[in-house]
Amino acid sequence: MYAHGIGADLPPGFGGRIFTRQGSGIEVANPVAQFATFPLPDDVGDFGGGAVNLMGNDDIFVVLFEYGPDSVGTRLFAHQGLPRELATTHFQPQVLRRGLSGQSGTQWFFTEAGRPFTLYAVLGSHARRSVLVPRVNQLLAGLSVDRAPVPLAAGRPWN
Amino acid sequence: MVALFVVLGAVVLLLAVLVAGLLRSHADILKALHDLGAGVGDPAADRAHDPGGHGTPVGAVPVPLTMGPPLAADRDSTSAPTLAGVTPHGDALAVAPATGSGLTLLAFLSTGCASCAGFWESFRRPASLGLATGTRLVVVTKGPDREIPREVADLAAPGLSVLMSSEAWTDYEVPGSPFFVLVDGAAGRRVGEGVANHFSQVAELVRRADIDAAAFAVDAGPGRDVGLDGPARESANDRELRDAGVAPGDPSLYPTSLEDLYGPPDARMATAPRPIRRAG
Repeated sequence: MYAHGIGADLPPGFGGRIFTRQGSGIEVANPVAQFATFPLPDDVGDFGGGAVNLMGNDDIFVVLFEYGPDSVGTRLFAHQGLPRELATTHFQPQVLRRGLSGQSGTQWFFTEAGRPFTLYAVLGSHARRSVLVPRVNQLLAGLSVDRAPVPLAAGRPWN
Repeated sequence: MVALFVVLGAVVLLLAVLVAGLLRSHADILKALHDLGAGVGDPAADRAHDPGGHGTPVGAVPVPLTMGPPLAADRDSTSAPTLAGVTPHGDALAVAPATGSGLTLLAFLSTGCASCAGFWESFRRPASLGLATGTRLVVVTKGPDREIPREVADLAAPGLSVLMSSEAWTDYEVPGSPFFVLVDGAAGRRVGEGVANHFSQVAELVRRADIDAAAFAVDAGPGRDVGLDGPARESANDRELRDAGVAPGDPSLYPTSLEDLYGPPDARMATAPRPIRRAG
């Protein structure tokens, strides 16, 4: 699957979507990619609100969320490259955006192909992390990000 | 009398020439099919009997010949592969119906087929569809190479999951539209498929499958009662932020460093990162 400069070669059992929300006012909608081993409801928050509570013990939820170009070069996004090999120790119950009993998560801020992202992954069961983390890594291995288009130089009109 | 014999002879001669021509044409066709590996008899067997290759056409390749959709006995009617494609709005979507514990109804529709129009219209009134609670409905059209995304978007009701993928039609061996496939996520396979004229017929199929699934279910599923969720939870978050004086665009909503998120390094815990709260 491919959209908005993000590609995913999904491992068996994963579904997902790559989308942008409709922008409102001055807010610019950036691409969001969500992947899960369970059916994602239509109304899911960017970081899994409305979905993570549906997870079974063997389920995985992963979000790749892009920030605006003004975040490029900031210290938060200083790490270069999408994490491809996560370890079981990277997943902590405290990192969950929504603390659901038994689950654990990990979050990374980085810049990939000149685009600032955060990666947020949730395991349905922290106790099953040794089985689930390799599946997360299998998913991460299949993700690709196109380089951000170079903005046109301003102030030089044609002719 | 002589003239009659002459005319008769000429007709017989003409017919003989015609038959000879037809036989020759037939022989040419058979030879061409044989060269393609799809002739009468088994070319592989011919090669086995002729190891030297004498008489075996060079470059012969087996060509499976199929005409029309596969027959019922030939169809793979239980597999439920992941469907991947795009939405009419250009987003990417991949649906794995063989996951989870619920039922997924795949509705293969077209924009042009007259009998599909009723279904597109029905999907505008999801409450009246009569689908069992928890049944996921996904409309699958052919890809942007065969359908115009704008037309699909115009027909699709707001909030309806629509996937455009010609590959999905091939994977599910869809003979034509409208066509419906019901997948049981818990079993990881198709549990029903077929054509219907009215959605009530499809709903009845789903209802029966749901009863079967409930009758043989071992576990009720992984759902957890966690209070507010989805849009209701996001609205509550917005309300809390507004009450705390954090308006849209507030700098605290846009951290630029780890210090913004966690405070000065000496104030941070050594190993346990704290969850990040996000508006909405």
